[in-house]
Amino acid sequence: MEEETATSPPTDLSNPTKSSDHALQKKHQAMLDRLSNRHQARNKSSSSSSATESTASFLSKFSDSKRLIESQLSESSKLATTDTTRLKSHLADISSSISALEQLVAENSYLLPSYELRSSLKTVSELKQSLDSLNAELVPKKKFSFKNKSTNKTSVSGPKETEIAKPEPPKPTLVIRDLPGIRNKENEILAKNFRDSEAGEFTLSDLDSCEVRLIGCVSVLFINRLTNCKVYAGPVMGSILIEEVENCVFVLASHQIRIHYAKGSDFYLRVRSRPIIEDCGGVRFAPYCLSYEGIEDDMIKAGLAEDTGNWSNVDDFKWLRAVQSPNWSVLAESERVGAIELKDLGSMTGEG
Amino acid sequence: MGLLTIIRKIKRKEKEMRILMVGLDNSGKTTIVLKINGEDTSVISPTLGFNIKTITYQKYTLNIWDVGGQRTIRSYWRNYFEQTDGLVWVVDSSDLRRLDDCKMELDNLLKEERLSGASLLILANKQDLKGALTPDEIAKVLNLENMDKTRHWKIVGCSAYTGEGLLEGFDWLVQDIASRIYMLD
Repeated sequence: MEEETATSPPTDLSNPTKSSDHALQKKHQAMLDRLSNRHQARNKSSSSSSATESTASFLSKFSDSKRLIESQLSESSKLATTDTTRLKSHLADISSSISALEQLVAENSYLLPSYELRSSLKTVSELKQSLDSLNAELVPKKKFSFKNKSTNKTSVSGPKETEIAKPEPPKPTLVIRDLPGIRNKENEILAKNFRDSEAGEFTLSDLDSCEVRLIGCVSVLFINRLTNCKVYAGPVMGSILIEEVENCVFVLASHQIRIHYAKGSDFYLRVRSRPIIEDCGGVRFAPYCLSYEGIEDDMIKAGLAEDTGNWSNVDDFKWLRAVQSPNWSVLAESERVGAIELKDLGSMTGEG
Repeated sequence: MGLLTIIRKIKRKEKEMRILMVGLDNSGKTTIVLKINGEDTSVISPTLGFNIKTITYQKYTLNIWDVGGQRTIRSYWRNYFEQTDGLVWVVDSSDLRRLDDCKMELDNLLKEERLSGASLLILANKQDLKGALTPDEIAKVLNLENMDKTRHWKIVGCSAYTGEGLLEGFDWLVQDIASRIYMLD
């Protein structure tokens, strides 16, 4: 702005302000034109020459390889009659040189004038087409095999149909074979001895007001939907999974114990890892208190010879805080049942 | 895109794989991880939260995320989905009663877009138990045949107790991931 005022005074003196503005604009425009012209000229002198140069070199390269490919193409018809073994690799060579040519075009596409670009792309696609038609013409073997396959399929349509028909109904057979266990009982004393049998998995489910006595080891124990029951069990070698129990007493030993949806129940446990509860309320814990003849051996067999004291290290998944969960507590010693001894499967004694 | 490329490059250099272990509680996820790593499996508490194990397996480094399976914490699984190369779904083959649960949770998991590229290994665990369903039966129950065709998956029977089948499963998983990410070198 200051510059403008510095140069304007002479015109100001001779002309009215309006025309001086006009002249100024003219001057300014002229300067801009000059500058842009010079700029363009400089550009042309440096880059446009290289652009035309690279276009020219591209075109010569392009036409060279085009000619080569064309001669290869014409050669292949001769090869088809003389040396059929080489024909395949020859055609593959042509195919790869066409793709190389296409690559060349792609690389130079940004500097090519649009006409050159279009025409070279057209050439490439023409070359491809002629290769394709040659392929179809000269390699009858392939064609034949294709036909062969398709006829095969149609002619053997019988078994094909059955193949389709087979996997059609994925039967909803949810292979429900029940595991060994005790189910659907009421007001009974239920006893089982595993000491002589091979330890497997065992299920207790849907029991009401029953007393269950399990002597010996099992691998896995599933306990599900029990109310008002007492369960006394020897060591479990793997894990125990308990769901939906109410007003029950459990005396259990195991590597792992998971308790879900338990209400108002007592658990006398020996467990190698931390017992967990989830969605439980009013559950209480105490140490294992069962004995029967030979239980020491069973405990050793199950790796539960020592009491780790983990029976009281309960993790409540519904109470992930440092303070004690309101859902469980340690059963006061005065309220515990005391030692329980199973004499044999029929009778038992309780102390305390 | 840029960040992903960088991460991929870093991973390629270190040959790292991120593997997520999930499944219902009591299926044996932690036991499997410890067994593979040759650790003591006799005292394992139900997982409250998650464990991470870094294991050198063949020429790869596996970062195994073993996430607890209790119902309450299943909703946190999704926090571990990002960047997962391999998904291991562990099934307790002897827990017939909860197979429906198992199927439902797996179906939900496979809908997750962030896991859509992950190879899926299903371990039908506890085959050492007499009443355990065979891998074929588990496959039927979980309806694996009708899975999305783009998913790479395999079911292998195993026992975390004896160790049987674990290597077979992880061999497949690692090879499958390697062929996807590292273009088989």
